[in-house]
Amino acid sequence: MNPAAVAAPVEDVQGDGRWMSLHHLFLNEAKEREPEVIFIGDSIISNLAQTQLWQQMFEPLHCINFGIGGDQTQHILWRIQNGELEDMRPKVVVLMVGTNNHGHTAEQIVGGITEIVNLIHTKQPQAQLIVMGIPPRGEKPNPLREKIQQINKGLTDQLQDMPNTLFLNTDWSVFVNSNGVINHHDMFDFLHLTQIGYQKICEPLLEEIQNYLQTFIKVESTSIETASMAGELAGDK
Amino acid sequence: MVLSQRQRDELNKAIADYLSSNGYVNALGEFQKEANMSNDVEKKYAGLLEKKWTSVIRLQKKVMDLESKLTEAEKEFSIGAPTRDKRSPAEWIPRAPERYSLSGHRSPVTKVLFHPVFSVVISASEDATIKIWDYETGDYERSLKGHTDSIQDIAFDHTGKLLASCSADMMIKLWDFQGFECLKTMFGHDHNVSSITFMPSGDFIVSASRDKTIKMWEVATGYCVKTFTGHREWVRMVRVNKDGSLLASCSNDQTVRVWVVATKECKAELREHEHTVECIAWAPESAYPSIGEAGGADAKKSSGPFLISGSRDKTMKMWDISSGLCLFSLVGHDNWVRGIVFHPGGLFILSASDDKTLRVWDIKNKRNHKTLEAHSHFATSVDMHKNSPYVVTGSVDQSVKIWECR
Repeated sequence: MNPAAVAAPVEDVQGDGRWMSLHHLFLNEAKEREPEVIFIGDSIISNLAQTQLWQQMFEPLHCINFGIGGDQTQHILWRIQNGELEDMRPKVVVLMVGTNNHGHTAEQIVGGITEIVNLIHTKQPQAQLIVMGIPPRGEKPNPLREKIQQINKGLTDQLQDMPNTLFLNTDWSVFVNSNGVINHHDMFDFLHLTQIGYQKICEPLLEEIQNYLQTFIKVESTSIETASMAGELAGDK
Repeated sequence: MVLSQRQRDELNKAIADYLSSNGYVNALGEFQKEANMSNDVEKKYAGLLEKKWTSVIRLQKKVMDLESKLTEAEKEFSIGAPTRDKRSPAEWIPRAPERYSLSGHRSPVTKVLFHPVFSVVISASEDATIKIWDYETGDYERSLKGHTDSIQDIAFDHTGKLLASCSADMMIKLWDFQGFECLKTMFGHDHNVSSITFMPSGDFIVSASRDKTIKMWEVATGYCVKTFTGHREWVRMVRVNKDGSLLASCSNDQTVRVWVVATKECKAELREHEHTVECIAWAPESAYPSIGEAGGADAKKSSGPFLISGSRDKTMKMWDISSGLCLFSLVGHDNWVRGIVFHPGGLFILSASDDKTLRVWDIKNKRNHKTLEAHSHFATSVDMHKNSPYVVTGSVDQSVKIWECR
């Protein structure tokens, strides 16, 4: 039995019931919002909703965010089994999870994510699924990074022939410099992304989503820096 | 003009590239000698001179365009563009900036509506309240509470004494708009009730629901007297024509349907939209001449009625109900079209969209006449007063905005 692939709710160790509250909130949103794109995952997904990028790039596409901080693969499984993808017909589902599965091996986590992928396809057969590669973590090279690399490798193999599924793995070189160090301007606590960090993973993601939606809704500039005169000149035809 | 050394070097290299790529070999040789440059032309500078040459003109043109836009906007702002007395009411259109931005709702605003008699506008919200505002002073007047979930639509009868509302809580409520009390609550739909409207006589209410049906209710008794079935998915909006003989509805099934009230028969199924149809509006008779002109030969001969629909496919379509044909489409919104209303003068259509704008469309020329950056989030609803020069919009940004027309 793979513990990463067996649905389970989060144990409320702190005792404030927030996880379950969020689940109920999501159930309600699922019913009322008619999203075209669903993001589901852990804190890296959920924090995205608090950024300017989300407002500028994703909200106009009718995206909703079902991220919960700390979630592991089995928790996402539980949430989907318990209704979070009912009552809707999204065109795209974006999934990122796995970095919090501390007690599990890389193989188990790949198994867990594959299970989620299968479940999403059962619930939303018309939807295109984008599975995001897990970004690196920790300031310096560490065993967890190696494990994540194994997971991403495993996912590449598992998902490459799966229909309606895209594994979108951001090249780690955008975060890790030649000395193997991650800059806190990209990941403020060497795990969670800053605005700049999100920009690095979201630009390719936005392109894929718009591609699947077959719609190029005008979103505001995706770049933090204002387009300069130089850019105008360089872009001239 | 003084150039820095680096700029001068770059300019020289770009000139050298220009000379070389155009075959001015002698000039190039001389130039390189005089400018103390090496004999090779760097690839990096290929085409740079031409590029700068054309982009300066392009940017100059852009600057001029922006400057003229700015003066126009300044003129509009300071002297109030064409003054209202110089224009006929049929030509009044909303002007930026908004006269009032009304805040108070604690969730997205779903619908806005002018009262037919009093100088008030009402707004419905996902916060389950209806709020009443004085659009002349910008004052908040009161809230109507009773629904327990997102309110989807609101409607007045022709006297403005009765207000009907419908909600995701599956209830329809009838309110006395003088005592502000809830008179009746009607149950019968099995899902979210998305739209409501009064029959012209005021004796009946018509509602549309996510349960795929349209129902007609008797105001006096609160009983459901008719059910119209046929839509295959969520019915988003229902509207009655002027004499009360026809209903029009639109749905997530991407169709617009027209029903004969007396027989419950579906007279027309209009399918041309490529996504959920969000909103519809019957054309007032004042608009028939401009629709006729825009729609070409067939439309000119037609006696109507005409209907416009707005969709998530970002377009609006004008339909001739007598023939069931789409006369023309209005394209320009960059996102879902959420609200649509005819200008009472019949020359324009106003629309609200998830691209956050309020747009004015010139019917005769099938053209986007004016765009106002109305809200900081999706604009969900728009209404225009039948006689006074005011337009109201509501948005997911939770505000209600009053726009004065000139």
